[in-house]
Order: sequence, then structure tokens, then C-alpha cells
Amino acid sequence: MKKFLCMMLALTMTATLLAGCGAAPADGIQTVTEGKLTVATSPDFAPMEFVDASKEGQDKFVGFDVSLAKYIAQELGLELVVTPMSFDACQTAVAMGSVDMSLSGFSWTEARAENYNLSDYYNTGNEDAQVLITLAANGDKFADAGNVEGLKVGVQTASLQEQITTEQLPNAEKVVFVDLTTALMQLRNGDFDCMAVAEGNASSIIANNPDVALTGYNFYVDPKYTGNVVMMQKGADELLTKVNEILAQAVEQDLYQQWYEEAKALASSGSEVSYDDSGNVAQ
Amino acid sequence: MDFQVIGANIAKIMSQYWRVFLLEGLSVTLELTFISVLLGVVLGTVVAMLKMSRFKLIRFLVSVYVEVIRGTPILLQLYIFVFALPGLVTFVKLNYFTWTAIALCINSSAYVSEVIRSGIQAVDRGQTEAARSLGLSSGQTMLRIVLPQAVKNILPALGNEFIMMLKETSLASTFFVGDLMTSYATVRGTTYLGFECLVIVGCIYLCITYPLSKLVGLMEKRMSGDTSYRKRNINRKRKLLNKM
Repeated sequence: MKKFLCMMLALTMTATLLAGCGAAPADGIQTVTEGKLTVATSPDFAPMEFVDASKEGQDKFVGFDVSLAKYIAQELGLELVVTPMSFDACQTAVAMGSVDMSLSGFSWTEARAENYNLSDYYNTGNEDAQVLITLAANGDKFADAGNVEGLKVGVQTASLQEQITTEQLPNAEKVVFVDLTTALMQLRNGDFDCMAVAEGNASSIIANNPDVALTGYNFYVDPKYTGNVVMMQKGADELLTKVNEILAQAVEQDLYQQWYEEAKALASSGSEVSYDDSGNVAQ
Repeated sequence: MDFQVIGANIAKIMSQYWRVFLLEGLSVTLELTFISVLLGVVLGTVVAMLKMSRFKLIRFLVSVYVEVIRGTPILLQLYIFVFALPGLVTFVKLNYFTWTAIALCINSSAYVSEVIRSGIQAVDRGQTEAARSLGLSSGQTMLRIVLPQAVKNILPALGNEFIMMLKETSLASTFFVGDLMTSYATVRGTTYLGFECLVIVGCIYLCITYPLSKLVGLMEKRMSGDTSYRKRNINRKRKLLNKM
């Protein structure tokens, strides 16, 4: 037993030693891999981030957040490496320091702000509204959702929608789901009457699923919730400052609208989009 | 649910994204399964041998290893291997695919070690006693007498482990390593047609696992020769019936 304890102790000590020698401070920004900006994203969320199946390697990750990530990397003088993983894993990866940052359509929430360094908001254009969608067959039954008795609303776990549904539809019963597509199946199965989503996602969903429609109900969204934020590890303050500067610069150059339109065009036409030589969507 | 629409959607998705499912998804799934089971068998054999070691300490450590791995969910192990271990093992830079492959291989090794151990221990003790009394060393006994007989018990179980692993690699899609479930996630992310993608991926999994499980069944039949207890019993009953 003593031997075993000794061994465990030795192991722990080696582990601490190894962990200690990882990060050597250097001037400028310390990234996970030198010269590269590793960004986690969950590419199953058109038009914010998704996969263009006709492409290979890093090129296949497209969408608004990817354009923004490219811009951030370029301004920092680093090479962008998009690391795809599931939405929950993105947050774990940032927390554990496996990636430098995550851009995955994150909205600002209080819990996130407590545990991560969140950037200033970036806006994706004019589709920041939060809406309720339902089966088209329901017509405008839920247009006045606040006054419907026994309403069941599907919300994504730990999302902004969950928060505003709690605040603004206090009488509704919340049913939590993990991802949007599974939620669509649940909606069809009658697990809930409506689901709360961002308007941008709603239009992507409705475009592909004619049996789904808007209820006509819109949430009131506090201006601080309308944008998305870049998520960084708690304590990465230098990086945060730089990212905020870059975001401000992007606003100045009015790049958001253009990225968003490109992403939307790509998302709705699948892989049939062609590009011109400079990488822009050909008209 | 309108099945005509679903059928049409499946055709549409397949015509546009068949490459993603069949070329990328399926090949990565098979690759990951092969790697984790092959290395899992090698590592599992070592673990099984250590578990039958003479030294108490080694037996104890190995059983801790096996119990910890069999007692925790694979998804949890994947998270630890992908996010926690790279922080400790800073001298090598591996990508997520390699880390998930290592995690799956270690997971598989724990299960395989139990399969091998039970396979070896199922060989009648009399075989070892006979071999030892004929003057074979313990190493020779293991290699020439026990293992060849144990293989009959082990191989079909390893086939099942392969099928299990094939399905369990789907958990690696949390890190988008490119397996079949990753294909599902990426395609449904762009098309927002979840059910259709599930049907496609389900069919592909089934097309691989069904023939494999048939093959394992065949192997089981072949391997259990006359020496198997069940067959011996059946034969004995048959002889009795013939006499009557």
C-alpha cells in the first residue's frame, strides 16, 4: 500500500511539473499553438457556422462566425484554425484552454459572463429578433402566446431563448431541448406547441421545412442580448482587449452586413454557390 | 409525418451529400473502429496477462484500471482525453482524431482484457495440469496449450466488441472527428432536415453491423466444435435417443 501511495504521489508530481512547463510567457498574444489562432465552433447552425460539403479541409467551414474569425485572426497576424466540435464541447474547450476562443453564435448571458471572458457584442444584421415558431397547421393560434393557457414552449438548454421565455412567458411550460433539429422532431411529435428561436435560424428552418411557420409572436429583446459574443477563457484579458478593438474596427468598416448576406446566400443554396477568384460569392 | 416528403427529402440529401456520408463519414467510422479495436486487442492482451500476474500489486493496479474504465461512460472519457490530457502531456501535439482514437482504444482494451481473461480461464484447468505434468514450462503451456483453445472462446467475443465499438465511435462526433454521426450533424446543420439524415445514417450503420453480426454468428458456430459443452450434451442426448 505504501509503495502504491508513493507511486501515486510521484505520478501527481510529474503531472504538475508537465502542466507547469506548458505556457512560457512571451510578448504579444499567447495562443494554444504558436502562430495560430485556434477557434472552436459548432458547425451545425446555419447561417452562423456550417459546413460547405463541396469543400475540403479548413475551407469547408463557412458562415458568419467563420468570416469574423478569419478577420480576427488576420488582424492578430495569426493563421486561423477552425476546430469543429459540439456546442457544449465548445464551452468546455474554452474553459479548459484547449482553444483560444469560440465563436459559435453565443449570446450574452449572466452565467457565461461570470465564467468566461466575453467580448463586446457583434451584430449579424437585422435578424436579431427572437421569435416563436410552430407547425404551420396551427395557423395564428399562438400569435398571442402570453395569453394561451397551458402553452408548452421548447427552448434550447442554457440558451438566451430559455432565459427570455422564463421572463416573458411565465405561464408557459418550458421543455428543454439540446439541438434545433431534434427539437423540430419534438415539435412535430407534439412534445411542445412552439419553440423559441432566433429569427435568423427560424428563416433557415422554415425555408427547408414547409410544415413549420412563424407564430407571429416576437419576444422583446433587451439590446444587450441582441448581438453575439466571442467567448474566451477567464483571465485572457489581453486577448479580450485586442478582440474588442478588432470588433470595433469591423463595425467601422461595415463588414458585418456583407458577411451575413454571403453566409445566408450560401446556406440557402447548399453547395451550388460558386466563388470568384477573391473568394467572394459570384453574382 | 408525411412519408412521401421524407422519401423525397432523403433522395435530395443523398444526391447532394452522398460523399459526406459514404466517403467521409463511413471511412472515418471504419478507420476509428479498426484502430481502436486492433490496438485495444494488443493492449487488452497485456492487461489480461497482468491481471493474472503473480504479484498482488500489479493485479490490484490493473483491476483499478479496468474498473475505472468500465465504470465510467465513454463520452466522459472522450472529454477527458480530448480536453484534459493535452494539458498534461504538453510535449506531444496530437489532433482530436488521435486523442479520440487513443481514448476509444483504451476503453476497448479494458473490455477486451476481460474477454481474453475469461476466455483463458474457461479452458479446463486439467489442460494446464496435464501439460505441466508432461514437463512443459508455464510459458509453453500458456502459448501452446491454453491459448489455442482459448482463441475459440475469444474470437467471436472480439467480433462483438468490434460491432459495439463501431456504434460507440458515434460518440466521437462530439468533437467532429468526421465519423458518420459527424456527417449527420453537419448535413442536418445546413439542411435543417434532421429526421431524414438520421434515417440515412441509421441505414449505413445497419448495412455494416448486420452482415458483421451474421459473420460473428457463423464464427461462433464454426469455433464451437465437439468440445463445447453444449454440443457434447446434445450429442450425448442424441446417442441416448438412438439407443432407445
